[in-house]
Order: sequence, then C-alpha cells, then structure tokens
Amino acid sequence: MTAGENDTDDELVRRAGRGDAAAVQSLVARKLRRVLALAERMLGDPAEAEDVAQETFFKVWRYAARWRPGVAKFDTWLHRVTLNLCYDRLRRRRERPTAEPPDTPDLGPGPDRGLLAADVGRRVNAALQALPPRQREAIVLCHYQELGNIEAAELMSVSVEALESLLSRGRRALRQTLADLAASE
Amino acid sequence: MTEDRFRALAEAYGADLRRWPLAERDAAQAFLEANADAAAAILELERALEAQLEAYIVEPSPSLRGRVIDIAPRARAVDRTWRWITALGLGLGLAASVVAGVAAGVSFVPGSVARLIGGGEAANTADDSGLLADPTDALVNG
Repeated sequence: MTAGENDTDDELVRRAGRGDAAAVQSLVARKLRRVLALAERMLGDPAEAEDVAQETFFKVWRYAARWRPGVAKFDTWLHRVTLNLCYDRLRRRRERPTAEPPDTPDLGPGPDRGLLAADVGRRVNAALQALPPRQREAIVLCHYQELGNIEAAELMSVSVEALESLLSRGRRALRQTLADLAASE
Repeated sequence: MTEDRFRALAEAYGADLRRWPLAERDAAQAFLEANADAAAAILELERALEAQLEAYIVEPSPSLRGRVIDIAPRARAVDRTWRWITALGLGLGLAASVVAGVAAGVSFVPGSVARLIGGGEAANTADDSGLLADPTDALVNG
C-alpha cells in the first residue's frame, strides 16, 4: 500500500496505526518539521525540542490505531500534545533552576544562509525566549504555525480578544528587544 | 473600519491581510484602498518585524527523522500491551512493569521516551492528564 500527497491526515494516521511503513514516513515528512519548529520556538533549546518531537510522535504512533476521524482535527491534536509537553518542560525549568542556560540553536550559516541571516535568527530566538510564555505561544501559533485566530485561541483556551492582546504585546516586545539586541552588538 | 482598528489588527496579526480575521478582511481591504499612505505606514512597521522573524529557521535533521520513524513499531506494541492489560483489569503498578518489559528490546530509546514506555513520571504528565480531560480524548479512548 502506498501513501501519497493526496492522503488526508486522518487516512495516514489510521494506516500508520496498522503498521503501514509508507504512511509512517509520509506523516513524518508532513508533520515533523512543524512539530519541531513549535517545540524549538517555545523552548529555545534544540536538544529539548528534539526530545519533545520524539515524545510527540511516540504518542502519535501509540494512539494511531485508535484514531477516530472527524471528531477533531489531527493537526490541532498534534499541536495540543506538543504544547503540553513544552509546558511540562518549562514548568520543570522553573522548579529546578540550573546554572547552565539551555543550549541556543545553532543558526549558523548553512549553504543557503548568510552570516547576517544567522545572526538575525539567533537574535530572534533570544527575543522570543525573553517573552512571557503565553505571548511567545500566541506568536508561534499565529505567525510561525500559521494557525487562524479562532483555532489558536481555542488551543490556548482564551478568547480571540485575549489572543489579539497577547499577539500585540508580544510583537511590540519583540520589536523592542530585537532593536536593543542589534544596538548592543 | 477605523484607522485605530486597522492598526490594532496589524499589530496583532501582521502585515499580510490574508492572516487577518476572515470577518474583517473586506473592511480592512477597503480601508487600505481608501487610505493608502496611512495603511502603508502601519503595515511597513509590521513587515519589518516579520522579515526578522523569518530569519529564525528550524529544520529537522535526518537523524531525528530516522529516530521518529524507528520508534513507531515499539509505540504500537506499547499501546497493544496497555490495552491488553486494561482489558485484564490489572493494577497500574503491574501494568508499568509489563510495559517496561515490552520496551526492553529497543536498542536506542531517548530517556524521555523511555519514561513514556515504562509508564513512569512522563506518562503521568499534564499532557496525558490533559488528554484524558480533553473532549478529543474520545479519539483515543473510544
């Protein structure tokens, strides 16, 4: 059985639950970057983000055989699982402060990136981590994950008005922090 | 739409009107066409921020992809074991021991995933309890 671009998320999940290796690979190709990006932008630490991504997919594979299409959107469920795992880790950081800050992402110049872009990327990560978690979450969900306002608000268990307030305050703070970081370098 | 509302939406959702709330896009477009200079100044500020945000790129490594794919069969085995144990009505302590035994054959399991397999602390995190309280849990426990 082959799994292709036209398969819906629900179909891929059901087939992955039956051990369809092609469906497993297709789901990973479709969702891993999205999950990892959410985790890394929430946590600011690439190693922790990889752990969260693995834990998230462990839950996907574990529950795939029992997935019921049509009750909720798989992508929404995936976001919820990933966010809960991120908040678990953020809570543990507060409970066990360490002398070592989390590793910062290596946004060094790859073949397609220049030094300037990598520097800006590092500053953006620092600015995101300086935000209160809820403002960071709002910006990551709406700007990076491109969720609509209603879906993002539901995921965050807030009203759309509250979401807009988090977004506005977060974006203003980001702009200021990025300007400060650029000026200090 | 007033300029204040246009500005508030831009400050929340950014420079791309396609990301604005569906119900307000027509009014926003009309404001933009009627007040081109004011709208452009508001949007340009947000566009400059977004250009910076886009510099933060995240890409999964091939090794992560491989690890995520490789854990699929073991995760399914864990689910089958948990369901078998639940059907038998065994206690949670015994269940965790049996599941840990199922996971024993995994050659490489990250610490965090190993805790999930073994039914330890990570299996009782807010994530699992959140799922249980979540209406969408009908998806997995139905």
